[in-house]
Amino acid sequence: MTSSSAASRKALSKIASNRLQKELVEWQVNPPVGFKHKVTDNLQRWVIEVNGAPGTLYANETYQLQVDFPEHYPMEAPQVIFLPPAPLHPHIYSNGHICLDILYDSWSPAMTVSSVCISILSMLSSSTVKQRPEDNDRYVKNCRNGRSPKETRWWFHDDKV
Amino acid sequence: MQWLQNPNSSVYLNHRWHAVASWTWDAQDETCGICRMAFDGCCPDCKLPGDDCPLIWGACNHAFHLHCILKWVNSQTSQAHCPMCRREWQFKE
Repeated sequence: MTSSSAASRKALSKIASNRLQKELVEWQVNPPVGFKHKVTDNLQRWVIEVNGAPGTLYANETYQLQVDFPEHYPMEAPQVIFLPPAPLHPHIYSNGHICLDILYDSWSPAMTVSSVCISILSMLSSSTVKQRPEDNDRYVKNCRNGRSPKETRWWFHDDKV
Repeated sequence: MQWLQNPNSSVYLNHRWHAVASWTWDAQDETCGICRMAFDGCCPDCKLPGDDCPLIWGACNHAFHLHCILKWVNSQTSQAHCPMCRREWQFKE
């Protein structure tokens, strides 16, 4: 997987660790519905359990998100991937990479782990078919050496799901 | 310091008024959307709130610590957007 990718190599800056500590406290007081943060002592990598929303294709299914924070978070987006097995979804590749604009070009430093989680759950919930992206095999083959999805040049072509 | 004697007791009352000024930035939100620190405090890179760590407003009327929005604007290779509303970031004149 992408565990050794650039996103987690450099230590967090002061502004990053400061903000993450605030986000962690806020998460503990008011966690987003359907998510559980698996507690570790690593502020730079969060593993978060996601429960598929009731009444959607992913109801009663549980997945894991891995969130790695770069040195200059929140000026840079976190790297967010699904740990295997990744949910079957038209925008989620079998290597766990997620095609979602806010994780790349449309990132804003006003976003939080919590708001990113809600966007991902909303993306899952609006899916009408459980299938991989059309170019899954080609893409996954391209990322074989543990490339981060942040190095991918994404092409966002579908705003329906 | 001026002490006045209360005629009914031997207690001395301190009539001196200790004025303590208070101030606050005139922003709509209470915390900076970038660092999440209170506007009445300073950004994580500063030690003291006040004139050395000012707030700044965008043309869209969203406020941030000056140091925070500069870090965001300078980190963007193309035109930066307001972190809150995504409009093109321009400093309010």
